[in-house]
Order: sequence, then C-alpha cells, then structure tokens
Amino acid sequence: MSVEPVSCTIKSPVALQIGDTVSDLSRPGVYITDITLAEPVNIQEISFKNYYTAYLTVRVQQREDGSVKWVTCLRNHCLMANPHAEAGSHDYFSIYRQQMSAKPDNVMTVRLILRQPSSEWLSFNIEEINIYPCVKEDTEWDVPAWLSTLTPVETSLDLKGLPDPETVSSSIQQMWALTEIMQASQNAASIGRFDVDGSYDVKLLSYM
Amino acid sequence: MAEKRRSGPVMSDPKAAKCETDHEFLSQSGVSALLRGALLKLVESRSEDPIGFLAEHFGHLSSEVDDGGSENLTVSRSLWHLSLSHHSQRSAFNNNVRVAYELLTQSAPRRRRTGGVRGVVYTEVLRCLCSEGGLSGASAAPLLQCIQCHDYEAVPFELFRQGVLTCSVFADYIRKSQCLYAAVARAPDRPAERALCQAVLATLQEALETADGPDVARYLEASAKISPAKLAQAMAEARPPSQQQEGPTMDAQEFEDAAAALFIARVRKVT
Repeated sequence: MSVEPVSCTIKSPVALQIGDTVSDLSRPGVYITDITLAEPVNIQEISFKNYYTAYLTVRVQQREDGSVKWVTCLRNHCLMANPHAEAGSHDYFSIYRQQMSAKPDNVMTVRLILRQPSSEWLSFNIEEINIYPCVKEDTEWDVPAWLSTLTPVETSLDLKGLPDPETVSSSIQQMWALTEIMQASQNAASIGRFDVDGSYDVKLLSYM
Repeated sequence: MAEKRRSGPVMSDPKAAKCETDHEFLSQSGVSALLRGALLKLVESRSEDPIGFLAEHFGHLSSEVDDGGSENLTVSRSLWHLSLSHHSQRSAFNNNVRVAYELLTQSAPRRRRTGGVRGVVYTEVLRCLCSEGGLSGASAAPLLQCIQCHDYEAVPFELFRQGVLTCSVFADYIRKSQCLYAAVARAPDRPAERALCQAVLATLQEALETADGPDVARYLEASAKISPAKLAQAMAEARPPSQQQEGPTMDAQEFEDAAAALFIARVRKVT
C-alpha cells in the first residue's frame, strides 16, 4: 500500500548537556529532535534510519478540543541491544501505531529523544525520518447485495403445509439452466428479411 | 480368419470373382464402413432398443440409396436423425443436425436449391419436433410464431440449428415446468394454490432477469436467487402457514402457459 509520508519540518537535534556546551569536553548522551507537522495527523507509522542511537523515546503533542498536550507514546525503545557494539547501529526502523502506548491522533509535533549512553561513538543521530498517516479503509469493491443474503436465515421458517423447497428449487434451477442454454445458443444468424413489421412498406421503396 | 480358397490357374470368366478372400469382399462392398457407421450412431444415441434402432438406420439408408424420396419421407428421415441424441450431448447433437440439414437441402429439386432449407420444410420440421417432444399444438404455437420462417424463405444452417435446439430445449423446459407444478401442488388430484404458483414463477423470472455482466457473476447471482432458502422464504411470504383456508387455485395449463411465456420472451425473433 503506497502511502505518502506527510510533509514535515525536521529541526536540527539539540543536545541536552549539563553545563556549558562549548567548554564541556564530554560528548552529549541525549539529543532531542522536534518534527513539526503542517496539519494535525493521525500517525500510522514513523520510519527512520538509525545512526548509532541506542534508545529512542517518542513524545507527541496532540491538539484536543482546542488544548494542546504532550503525551509519551514510546519510552526508551531499544534500537541497539548493546550500546557499545555495532549491532543495530545502521538499521532501518519503523515504529507503528500499535506499538505506541497512547493513540497518536491529531498530532501537531513529534519529539524524538535519542539516547546513547556509550562513550564509544563520536556522535549519534537518526536520519531519513518519515511519518505516515492513517489511511481510511475504503471498500475497494462493492459487495453485491445478494452476497450478504447468502447465509441461510437463522430463524427457522414454519414450512408446514408448504411445498418442499428443495424439490421446487431443483426444478426451478433446471428450468433456469435450460433457458440459459437457449439464450447462449442464440446467435446473430438472420434470414435477411426486409419487411417492416411483417409487411413490405411501399413508402420505403425508392423510385429514383 | 480368412482362408484362401484353392484356386487353380486364373480364369477369366465371372466365376473368378468368388475366389477372392472374405476380407477383400468386405472391403470391396464397403460393408465394414457401413457397419462401423451404424455402430457409431448406435453408441452415440444409446438407444434402449438397439435392434430396432439398427433396423431403422438401415431402412433409412436403403431408401436414401434407392431414390431421393418424397419430401415427406425426407422430413421423417431428418427427424429421425434429430432424435438420435439429446441436445445436452452437444457434439453428437450438432453432428446429427448437420446430417439432417444436408438431407433436407439435397432433397429439394435441383432448380430450387437456394442457400438453405425451404421455409415450409423448416417450419414442418420444427412443428414435428415440438409434437415429438410432447408439446401440444397450443403450447408450441407461441414459440413457433417466433422462430418459424415464411414458406418461400431459405433457412441457413446456423438458423436451422438454433431453431432445432430451441424446440428441443423448450420441450424439456415444459416437462420441467410440469414437474414443478406437481411439486407445488403437493397432491396429484388437487390444483396448486395461486399465490404459491405466482411466487414460484416470480422467483424464476427474477433469476432470469439478472442484470448483464460477466457470466460467472450473473450465474452466481441468479443461483443465489433460486436457492432453497430463498424459495422457502418466498413461499412462506406468499401463503403464510397460519392461513388455514385455501385461497384461489391455478390449474396446470395456466401454470404451464405462464412458464412458457417466460421462456418465449427470451427467444430471439427471426429477422
């Protein structure tokens, strides 16, 4: 199902550090990325490419009845089983609606909190973030009316005094089949008559 | 197991003909081909009286060989061919129709041999087919009116085949409608109730009028409409079981005519 990702603005990650960013030599272990959406969206999926992020927390800002509030959808989702090792460091991930603890509906902003406790890595990030909205399930084809009435009615009809429906149905089915055979065998063979309604119309002849 | 008779030096008188083997004799006279054809026809028709069938077959063959035969004889011979197989045995039926058609076209006097069977002969064949199928003149009349041809017209093969098939199918259809009436009436001596008959015929009509579309979808939809459950529902609605007294009745002929009308409405008129 090809669903287009919604258009969003991804802000550059902000590091959370204690102390002054410039003078502090230690590398930050937490980054926060905000994603602003153009219009409120019901999120179906968030997909991204990992780059050495170990844990991910997803918070969404929902607009509900005029008020906005922040809700945590996913807390410390593990992307790398061992933060010191390479496993999962370059993988592609998808976070689905079903994995989230709160329903991500009417979302204005998505905040991704990235954590990497290991000091091994110079930097960490997530890239190629795409947010996919919920797609309304359209009935792709119209179910014919007769299909819905196929299952026999549960209530037992009182058939006392009525003819046996099986026998009657069997005869009717054969009659229907015979008519179909006749209709199917009809072709456009004609005898080439020229009369109009059973008689030649003199006015149709031309003397020119 | 042909034993060669001892023949002396070759003699030039007619008696030498008798000295050939049995095998050669059979192949010269064409009897083996004749018997093969007869057996094939017998197997195709699966007649209950094989000896009678073979007698009729050879009788027809000999009268064909002797002379062209009068027109009546030709019609009866072609009818015999048409009766050999049921219309459901499609390839055998088509073969027999072709044979009958050839018979009828060849029987016409040479100068009148236009592109087909003469209309009067065609109409006669159809009428006989209907009566052989058990239809009365009155039942068959509306159908014949649709498909018969003027006396002077020449009927091509496709139209001939179509007309013959329609008559055979119609005969089966009327027989089935009689069974249906018997099922609705529930007792052989009592006429069926009008409301039930009308309900049953209405379901058939509805199934026949299923909208055009892919064949499979149409068949599925029509068969859903004439399932036993649907019929039970229709009949229960038409005559609630709680209603004890008998309503107006419909006799067998009227039911048959109504059913026939449904069929004939779908027959294409000859143009």
